Amino acid sequence: MRINKSLFIFGILLFFSAPAFCRDSTENKSANTSPFSQVKFLPDISFITDVSGLFRTIEDEEFASMEIPGFIHGGSGEEHGHSHAPANGKTGFNFNYAELALYSVVDPYFELTGIFHLSLEGFEIEEAFFNTTCLPFGFSIKAGKFLSSFGRLNSQHAHSWNFADQPLVNNALLGHHGIDEVGAQISWLAPMNFYLLCGTEVLMGANENSFGNEGFHDANDRYEVKDAKGPNLYTGFIKTSFDVNNYTIYAGFSGAYGGSRINHGLDAAGGHAVFAETWLLGADITQKWYVDSYRYVSLQAEYIYRIMDGDHYHVESDSVTEKTSLLKKQSGLYGELIIKPFRRWKIGMRGDLLPMNRVELSKIDQELPDNMYKVSAMMDCMPSEFSLFRLQYNYDRSKYFEEKLKTNHEIMLQANISIGAHGAHAF
Amino acid sequence: MKKIFIISFIAFFYLPVLAQLKVVTAYPYISDIAKKIGGNSIQVDALASGTWDPHYIVPKPSLIAKVRQADLLIINGAELEIGWMPPLIRDSKNAKVQPGASGFLDLSAHVDLIDKPENVSRAHGDVHPSGNPHYSLNPDNILILAKAICDKLCALDNQNSSLYRANLEQFASAWDAKLKEWGDKLKSMQGIKVIQYHKLFDYFLNRFGIDLVMEIEPLPGIPPTSAHIKKIIDVVKTGSVSLIITDVYHSQKPVKMISEKTKARYAVLPHDVNSVAGVTDIFSLFDEIVRRITND
Repeated sequence: MRINKSLFIFGILLFFSAPAFCRDSTENKSANTSPFSQVKFLPDISFITDVSGLFRTIEDEEFASMEIPGFIHGGSGEEHGHSHAPANGKTGFNFNYAELALYSVVDPYFELTGIFHLSLEGFEIEEAFFNTTCLPFGFSIKAGKFLSSFGRLNSQHAHSWNFADQPLVNNALLGHHGIDEVGAQISWLAPMNFYLLCGTEVLMGANENSFGNEGFHDANDRYEVKDAKGPNLYTGFIKTSFDVNNYTIYAGFSGAYGGSRINHGLDAAGGHAVFAETWLLGADITQKWYVDSYRYVSLQAEYIYRIMDGDHYHVESDSVTEKTSLLKKQSGLYGELIIKPFRRWKIGMRGDLLPMNRVELSKIDQELPDNMYKVSAMMDCMPSEFSLFRLQYNYDRSKYFEEKLKTNHEIMLQANISIGAHGAHAF
Repeated sequence: MKKIFIISFIAFFYLPVLAQLKVVTAYPYISDIAKKIGGNSIQVDALASGTWDPHYIVPKPSLIAKVRQADLLIINGAELEIGWMPPLIRDSKNAKVQPGASGFLDLSAHVDLIDKPENVSRAHGDVHPSGNPHYSLNPDNILILAKAICDKLCALDNQNSSLYRANLEQFASAWDAKLKEWGDKLKSMQGIKVIQYHKLFDYFLNRFGIDLVMEIEPLPGIPPTSAHIKKIIDVVKTGSVSLIITDVYHSQKPVKMISEKTKARYAVLPHDVNSVAGVTDIFSLFDEIVRRITND
């Protein structure tokens, strides 16, 4: 007891006398007091928020249950099992996302990039991949989770789009995350006097709109489709570009092939599922004419064709599952015209069309509607490179409610604000 | 026989190209210095056009194809290319020119930068944390850059190093003569007060003792409002500013307006090779700046 007490007193005395024993810091002012600081190795960090104010003529609840027949149902891309609301989902204010991006060179051989999407509901790894910087002959490899280079818009982040929302075709065929997959990509830049890039990707293929790698079974275990074994989606792309003075043309062809396992509640009444092989073929062209450093006119168009061939499972009202053959041949395209007449202003128009929508069940054409379309107009104000305000109007004739087409008018004011060190965007 | 013919045919056309070191530079002025040092032993191509705002070059895919082929990439540095160069280097997939590799040269590392901010905030506009990046407009720095480029060329292409050194010597003596000429011509301008549109000509004005009063841009990269222009008109009138200078890529409207209201002369100065007609190399760039400043 007594020993404890004296130890305690000794300890207290020792503690308060500490400054007397510590080395005199005034003597050595010039010395680096944190020789192991790694502040200079911090990666580039940036943070972006996207907020919108929205008004639409269709009520939120109704909008959430609208469908594009043959393409998507249960709302504008709110896929089953999704943890967060789609962007611009509600009338009033929408907190669409916050993006946290990290980037740094790893060593003389690799770079690492991480793009994280934070929503009010959770945290998503949008991209996290490494890529090589040292391979010879113009090759590079990247691996991790990344946005596929299929098509033109798919690999671009939402904040670099010219409109607040995705084109109809991207939303209908690729979903609102696009082809954002775990896998690897190898690409090769040809040693030419013009730009010629070829690449291929091997991906897990979890995409909920055209692919999917999780198996399913019905309630009675009469039908069962097993999980995909390993990678389930393969893509290939070729992109080229050349200039004529201040005019640049950029074009690409892409293809994707994979297994589709789309399960919309097959284990319950009213559920259905698809097990198929799916091809996506894409073509895109961008033309940009520059007046000077700050002004340009650009025209961009993209076309995607989907062919889905396989089986359709459907749970009848008496809980018996029916299996029929399914064939979908569908396509969509958009074209956008962007004019930047002043350094801080941009205006644009976009036309969206789903011209082909042939769906056959048991070789019988379901006579689904086609030529769904949407027209958008936007105006951007950019006080600096780091802040953007966008006013956009959509005239949407693509959404069906209880099998009837309903015109949707939308007006939104989007604010996209960024801070920190964000890497420059590619062309 | 046929095979040999084809191979020699291809070799005939490609060998001279293969022998030349391929140099890609960020801006035309760097290309010209490199050409003066490298002569016919190198092949030079600039990514940016001289008439454009050097901060805002479009990262066109055709530029990626150029970087792909480069043995040496020379940049201005000091964050001048931060908005457009990184995706070009990454997408070029060219290991030789990645930052840190032997085929990458950042010229800003070789000169002393001015206006290095102690605190950096974007509330102050487009600030450059490393300092003012337009150091190439101090003609004294051109010699330093030429030497840095010469050293790099010698390191990459040792065979021709005596040629590069000889070219550097020749360039340096021609440049020294020109420095004297420009100094003499600008003597009458010493101490006169000028304003400029963007913080672009600071190095040049400092070098020749010309008194820089302020910028027309309220903050770097932020265009002036009409209220700000009114304030500048007052400064020009009361502060006896006699010259307003601007560059080729910004709108000349505010400069013309201030000039009309105050009777102060204005001059549009070239900032890079090929930015105005007649400025075809690094010598004529400074000749033209001096000519336009002195209103010769």
